[in-house]
Amino acid sequence: MPMRSALKKLQPLIALVVMLVAMTLLSDKFLTIANQRNILLQISVNLCLSIGMTLIILTGGIDLSVGAILAFAGAFAAGLLKHGLVLKYFGVVLQFTPFGAMVAGIVVGLGLGLFNGMAITRFKLPPFVATLGMLSIARGLTLLWTGGFPVTDLGPQFGFIGAGFWLGVPMAVWISAALVILFYVVSKHTTLGRYIYAVGGNERATAFSGINVDRIKLWVYALGGALAAVAGLLVTARLDAADPKAGLGYELDSIAAVVIGGTSLSGGRGSILGTVLGCLIIGVLNNGLFLLDVSPFWQQVVKGFVILAAVAADKLGARKE
Amino acid sequence: MKTNLIKYMLAGVAMLAAMLFTQTVSAQPAAKGKIAVVVSTLNNPWFVVLGETAKARAIELGYEATIFDSQNDTAKEAAHFENLIAGGYKAVLFNPTDANGSIANVQKAKAAGIPVFCIDREINSTNAATAQMLSDSYSGCVKLGQYFVKTVGKDGEYAELLGIVGDNNTWNRSKGFHSVVDRYPGLKMVAQQSGEFDRAKGLEVMESILQAHPNIKAVFCGNDAMALGAYQALVTAGKAEAVKVFGFDGADDAVKLIAEGKMAATGMQFPKTMARQSAEYADAYINGKRDFPQKIPVPVELVTKENVGKYGDYGKK
Repeated sequence: MPMRSALKKLQPLIALVVMLVAMTLLSDKFLTIANQRNILLQISVNLCLSIGMTLIILTGGIDLSVGAILAFAGAFAAGLLKHGLVLKYFGVVLQFTPFGAMVAGIVVGLGLGLFNGMAITRFKLPPFVATLGMLSIARGLTLLWTGGFPVTDLGPQFGFIGAGFWLGVPMAVWISAALVILFYVVSKHTTLGRYIYAVGGNERATAFSGINVDRIKLWVYALGGALAAVAGLLVTARLDAADPKAGLGYELDSIAAVVIGGTSLSGGRGSILGTVLGCLIIGVLNNGLFLLDVSPFWQQVVKGFVILAAVAADKLGARKE
Repeated sequence: MKTNLIKYMLAGVAMLAAMLFTQTVSAQPAAKGKIAVVVSTLNNPWFVVLGETAKARAIELGYEATIFDSQNDTAKEAAHFENLIAGGYKAVLFNPTDANGSIANVQKAKAAGIPVFCIDREINSTNAATAQMLSDSYSGCVKLGQYFVKTVGKDGEYAELLGIVGDNNTWNRSKGFHSVVDRYPGLKMVAQQSGEFDRAKGLEVMESILQAHPNIKAVFCGNDAMALGAYQALVTAGKAEAVKVFGFDGADDAVKLIAEGKMAATGMQFPKTMARQSAEYADAYINGKRDFPQKIPVPVELVTKENVGKYGDYGKK
């Protein structure tokens, strides 16, 4: 039934269009350029997290540590920029340029992601448990590194990736868009991408066909960590401050975006583009609830129902097939 | 033979452990006892200052002091209380996680004969804690409301960023503010949203509010973290001059922005004063004093560009 499966793939898109039309009718402030730019800016962080999360969920895993890695990478970069790295043993202080600090932040995120991957492939921990452990570790490291205080006043150069513009579009949007394109290509047109889908579809069959499943997983979690670090840099730059409690609960927003975008939690089925739609749906929903001045009490209820509806639609579609 | 050997070895290890243990105990004869500092969260600099100051003052007074982090979770808090009751602590300097959820924990300590002194946040019980030192959020926000009317004027649109909607402090602050501002019908609150006491959330919510209500003249925020986020949103939107930002807490960054004329005002709470006082009360209790007032309100002071020079570092300079 190619017709029906094509329709199913379009489900998130249809949901988004319905929401866009509804919002345009409900609020005259919605369809302005400034507001659309805002929505894109606000989803850019979740988008970075969700690209990584999509790849991980495609392999049949999950990553609960992205919010915590985001916080640590952001705080680490901000701390390096502000205070440098004190090497007591050598009696020197390494100073970092804004770019150097950002690279260091991403490397740290990659490292923590690799640690997740090692725990899952070497020690055979379930991804849920391994990344739950990392959630706690990275949160703790953030507190240790910052002493519980936000690192502020990072300067315009660092702030540029969060608050700057290029051709009238925020830098954060350019960055997240570039990452979307890059990882769309990786997932659809490279061997790594095909293996990711294969691992999630049928891990044993993939292993029997001679593919190193562990190495694929290791890479996917490492990428998830690095992308969380990019998200952390964006949050930090946007606020001009690294808040030690940044990213609390972001892992859930990110999983929600992936699921709303039609990626199956059991792995093997889904796409980056679906996730982009999922992020847009959540972003439009958040923005719309504020524009309509919906009470904060109701907002969470509405969001919960939208997530349930999206997943229910996905399940119904799967049953029909 | 083999089992005997193992028995001897075990006995040896036990003796060694016992020796080590008695040595560590006798190595600290100077301490007058142990005091526990239980803090709702260390994820917010304000509470870090609160906890560290209480600990430092207890050590100054000659006690050993340890900080326990409840991570905003009453269940974790309960475990801390069980441990510290078993651990022989003499007093608890306590920043509760929840006004109702924390009562049982305090009662448990009371039953075990350990006095509890609440700091900053109250518990909804007057016969569990020995004394409660509380920031007077309501009156503080009344002062902020009065200053708000004075600087913003009696007409115009404004927005409010609430804290976590299930939190006592959120509503104490909001009600204090509205008790003044709502008397002026010309001042219209066009948006009231939650920024969850969080900087990033405050920024995002403010961005959206500015889209829906571009003509607001001011924003009142339930804490300084949200105020700083809102300010960042205003800077990006080019509206930092047009919209006045009001916060609450007295965070260093906010005090700095007020000094630079970029933020209108905040309410200074005195975490260090409250924390030190709680440690002193605990010391007095251990030395035999029993008659403590149940609630000791600690006033919140209005910080504006006129008096900002007097404040900083989580208190008065």
